[in-house]
Amino acid sequence: MENKETLLPEKSIPSSEVSLRKAFLEFTDDDVAVLESVNEAATHYADSVIDDFYKHLLSFDETRSFFADPAVLSHVRNMQKAYFKRLTQGNYDAEYVADRIKIGRIHERIGLPVKSYFGMYCFYLRAVLKRLRDEYKEMPEKAYNIFDSLMKLTFFDIGLAIDTYIESREETIQGQEEAIRELSTPVLLLRPGLLLLPIIGLIDTRRARQLTEQLLRSVRANRAMVVVIDVTGVPSVDTKVANHLVQTVEAAGLMGAVSIVTGIAPDIAQTMVRLGIDLRRIRTVGDLQSGIEEAERLLGYSVVKNSDATSRCGKDGP
Amino acid sequence: MNVPIRSEADLVTARLRGREIASTLHFSSSELTLIATAISEVTRNIISYAGAGELDLELVRQGQKVGVLIVARDRGPGIPDLLSAMQDGYSTSGGLGLGLPGSKRLMDEFDVASEVGKGTTVTMTKWKM
Amino acid sequence: MNRSRAPILKLGDTLIASVQEALMDADLVGLRDELVAEVKTYRATSVIIDVTVLDVLDSFAARTLRHIAQMTQLLGARTVVVGIQPDVAFAMVQLGLTLEGTETALDLEDALSLLNIKIGRERGAH
Repeated sequence: MENKETLLPEKSIPSSEVSLRKAFLEFTDDDVAVLESVNEAATHYADSVIDDFYKHLLSFDETRSFFADPAVLSHVRNMQKAYFKRLTQGNYDAEYVADRIKIGRIHERIGLPVKSYFGMYCFYLRAVLKRLRDEYKEMPEKAYNIFDSLMKLTFFDIGLAIDTYIESREETIQGQEEAIRELSTPVLLLRPGLLLLPIIGLIDTRRARQLTEQLLRSVRANRAMVVVIDVTGVPSVDTKVANHLVQTVEAAGLMGAVSIVTGIAPDIAQTMVRLGIDLRRIRTVGDLQSGIEEAERLLGYSVVKNSDATSRCGKDGP
Repeated sequence: MNVPIRSEADLVTARLRGREIASTLHFSSSELTLIATAISEVTRNIISYAGAGELDLELVRQGQKVGVLIVARDRGPGIPDLLSAMQDGYSTSGGLGLGLPGSKRLMDEFDVASEVGKGTTVTMTKWKM
Repeated sequence: MNRSRAPILKLGDTLIASVQEALMDADLVGLRDELVAEVKTYRATSVIIDVTVLDVLDSFAARTLRHIAQMTQLLGARTVVVGIQPDVAFAMVQLGLTLEGTETALDLEDALSLLNIKIGRERGAH
């Protein structure tokens, strides 16, 4: 079993991972002590660093736009101040990690691009470096040590925040993909009791599951007795897809609905048979139109054409 | 979370706990049913073949994904021919055998360790997609 | 079996068993025996088993339902299982359970019309 870890209660990054990262950054208890030792000085110049920071941010259109709302700006500013002070308060534990993750999520949510995020950190570190140089003019070695420790911690923070940044993005994208998928596979109610599921495009396992789920819920909601599944628009049908199809048909069957699969091209049918799929388990009809007619027959409908109906619709007339 | 499996009633409890724990990760209703069904199958095996055992339910993380880890353990007779037990005639009658290949289909990761005379451990994971 | 878990109602020649809550194995077996006994006693010609409430139908449950259908058929009755929910149906086919040969319908209403009017929707019919 490869590195599965038990989740911390707040669903944060596992403690072993945290230790790994600190080790990789060579961030040790000595660094913690160094940072704690400058806490007083840091608190002292926190305000001026933050002010410079925001002056810089607001001087660029791009970043200013993210903090257009004064309430947001003031809130974020206070959070930044707290963050700055926190950097030298020691105790960089689970709670600290959870906090950094939260910050990453917030920045992602307001849509701040990663480049701006990194740019901000850069400005930040440089601002501190400048002050350290001034503060410890007589003891450059000390300034160096402090900055060294701070850099490790800052990069630890960046790592955490960017991770969750990416995670949030992925969740958003997944949600959008989900929505797109649902839109692109509508289950249509053709007649009372008759559902049509036209499938277009390639089907992977995920999409197949989603299609099946949608179809089955629709069977229940519409009390469908016949389902026509049209695969004319599916370019290729391999074993997996064929199996999904069979499963869908069987599941609909368990809910009392009969399925008719239309649009299986002859060569695909041949492939399916060769792959060992028992086509007797699904009712197939060549084309969609015949499939629908068959479905209507099953439901007791018969389609009659009125004798005086026009054979062509349109401005040209019959 | 640990659920002792000693009687049939525990099967129902096991399914319930499985659902509860998995739902904290916001699995879809469909996925929750898959998880509950898989739990039902493996814990039933415990009762049928070993008489008693236990079920461990845990939330886990691997990289960016999170999921639920289910371990069904017993000190029963063990499975003599594991390979056959994992064979799958796709359109199974759904009754014979241990239902292992079926349960495997319900989950994302599936592993069976068994020793005749010592017992069986089924480990399965479902990831939140 | 605890009768309150799946009471059996009689509607003319039809027996309707409505599962009220999660059934343990013993309950399912008990239901099977009860239904078979009542089919015999009342010479019932149809049996409807409503499993709407069940959130899981595993291999044992599927097997037992099939047995009920088979046994009652020997006694001249037709069995229809109704109320399998979308998630449950999906899990069942993933598991490879098909209730092969057992009739199914969406709900009680459909089952009743199925039993009165045959429109060729039997499970397994091609």
